[in-house]
Amino acid sequence: MIKQIEALKAAGVTEVVLAINHQQPEVMLNFVEEYEKKLEMKITFSQETEPLGTAGPLALARHKLIHESGKPFFVLNSDVICEYPLLEMIEFHKNHGAEASIMVTKVDDPSKYGVVVMEEASEAARVESFVEKPKYFVGDKINAGIYLLNPSVLDRIELRRTSIEKEIFPKIASEKKLYAMVLPGFWMDIGQPKDYLTGQRMYLNYLRKNAPGELLASSGDDVVIGNVMADETAVIGERCLIGPDVVIGAGCVIESGVRLFGCTVMRGVRIKEHACVSDSIVGWDSTVGSWARVADVTVLGKDVQVADAEVIQMSAKPEIIQKV
Amino acid sequence: MVSSMDEKVVAVIMVGGPTKGTRFRPLSLNIPKPLFPIAGQPMVHHPISACKRIPNLAQIYLVGFYEEREFALYVSAISNELKVPVRYLKEDKPHGSAGGLYHFRNLIMEDDPSHIFLLNCDVCCSFPLPEMLEAHRKYGGIGTLLVIKVSPESASQFGELVADPVTNELLHYTEKPETFVSDRINCGVYVFTPDIFTAIRDVSSQTKDTATLRRVSSVEALQPATRNSTDFVRLDQDILSPLAGKKQLYTYETMDFWEQIKSPGMSLRCSELYLSQFRLTSPQVLASGDGTKSARVTGDVFIHPSAKVHPTAKIGPNVSISANARVGPGVRLISCIILDDVEIMENAVVTNAIVGWKSSIGRWSRAEGVYNSKLGVTILGDSVAVEDEVVVTSSIVLPNKTLNVSVQDEIIL
Repeated sequence: MIKQIEALKAAGVTEVVLAINHQQPEVMLNFVEEYEKKLEMKITFSQETEPLGTAGPLALARHKLIHESGKPFFVLNSDVICEYPLLEMIEFHKNHGAEASIMVTKVDDPSKYGVVVMEEASEAARVESFVEKPKYFVGDKINAGIYLLNPSVLDRIELRRTSIEKEIFPKIASEKKLYAMVLPGFWMDIGQPKDYLTGQRMYLNYLRKNAPGELLASSGDDVVIGNVMADETAVIGERCLIGPDVVIGAGCVIESGVRLFGCTVMRGVRIKEHACVSDSIVGWDSTVGSWARVADVTVLGKDVQVADAEVIQMSAKPEIIQKV
Repeated sequence: MVSSMDEKVVAVIMVGGPTKGTRFRPLSLNIPKPLFPIAGQPMVHHPISACKRIPNLAQIYLVGFYEEREFALYVSAISNELKVPVRYLKEDKPHGSAGGLYHFRNLIMEDDPSHIFLLNCDVCCSFPLPEMLEAHRKYGGIGTLLVIKVSPESASQFGELVADPVTNELLHYTEKPETFVSDRINCGVYVFTPDIFTAIRDVSSQTKDTATLRRVSSVEALQPATRNSTDFVRLDQDILSPLAGKKQLYTYETMDFWEQIKSPGMSLRCSELYLSQFRLTSPQVLASGDGTKSARVTGDVFIHPSAKVHPTAKIGPNVSISANARVGPGVRLISCIILDDVEIMENAVVTNAIVGWKSSIGRWSRAEGVYNSKLGVTILGDSVAVEDEVVVTSSIVLPNKTLNVSVQDEIIL
């Protein structure tokens, strides 16, 4: 999500509204304040008290989205990861001059998604219709969850549980006011932990090609394999082996002899000596004990303690472990 | 009564044979089960060193049907070490424990001993042999059995017996009964006077008579001579049961530990028992260390002098590490047996497991057993390679396998 906010900043956006559901904003508050300062942006919350679907929250935040200038606003789905060519999208939106733009991405198995059918298969095309989970081939472009909308779209949304994909966009499309831009590069729905880790791997690959300076280089006693990103405030001990595909958050302490690969270690985590974490997500402020093993798409929630020499692996199904 | 100063005592340890240790696979594929290390010493070493405490011990015989060469090296080494002659006697075929004793009666009686100890090699206990001998002399019977009280649920797996609470006479004996008889069981450790040979001969000749009578009418006699064989005499059913209640057999109850080492998993438990006994009897054989010059050791641990353990490793409790094993930096070992020439690489974890000869465990890998799972303790056979970052959980891996993916509850053939 921070990547998205940074991309918005780069595209000239000055204010971000985080539309969140009824669950814990407390976790988010801490780092939002920090990023507000760091990025010099205004970041506010709009919290729903009942589920409002994918469009309802926009109606809820209506007063924050309407600006006297009448400028369009971005809507980003937080559980996707991709490149964010937002400046290009603004250009695209200006060029077609219509009410709404959506980003689409090409997928191999469109039958799993809602397919966006466009009038012509060019880079900038008008959306004709939406087909949810098509049984036969109608196209291979799907909704990438990134929209640029004129404020007038808000007039179409009532404050109730509404789906933007199923109710609002088809209507705009039928009025020939919706255009789709094909997203270059990778795209990944990271709503599932496994997909999140795959998305992270793709993103790190992207950084390797485009901004290798963001990645860690092998140095001294620590050995880094492949693409590894670590916050500058993270401390990594001796005789560790980190990578490939690891992201280490701010304030993390990785003690000596630790092995990490294919994992996300969120801010404030301590991984004790000789532990091994693979293909997993370790949530904020959690602790993984000495000689412990966390593997196989395990998701540790916030402030979870894994005991010394304990093994946590979900061979069968992914499971999210929350602090009790 | 003859003065105990002049009496000689011999000990006979039944070691079984290659057709016996099947439940001990894959570890018995490489080595006779009696030589498998428990607490860093061959299984048979524990009863042998217990015999050393018997006053006037003249000789120790190992009786079994393994090839002599399999025991030759061990027997000569232990004879020198204990300064007691130890001899391996090979049976031409299984005779049963009483039959085996009887088969070698002339050799056993060579020194004209006043008492003969008979021990099963696969039991793990404190072997209170001098105490048994003293009790036996007081009782005045032909034999005294070591017994222990167990839970009523587990008793039926063993020989259950009833003893007179005052005189300790054996009143009733039954092997693996279907209904509960008693929570006192036979530990497989006995002391006899030479009269035991007469008792075995009597049973043996009776069996012979029965067999002769049967031969006319029964096709049984045409079957290969095994259990029907006239020189196959079991100690439990054929001797103890008939002699119970005849003022010939007595019991001595141990309050210490007792286990039977049937499976590899049990060897881990028995290793723990013997290591904790070492703590009391010979603490100098146990390892110590605080992580500065040598590895950090917690609890009872045996490390062979030739093994190399990195100072940053943490070892114990209940760990025994055999000759020439190498344990790398940051390794964690808990409740495990590491056999000869094993290599455990950095940051690996081994817990509730037995790692076979020349096997290797890769960096950040794990071999671990989970009690109450299907296979329990993890066992790696000879020359198994577990690659980096692989987790082997409650699995049995046969010799010469390479594991590059994690496995759980599997037998890898």
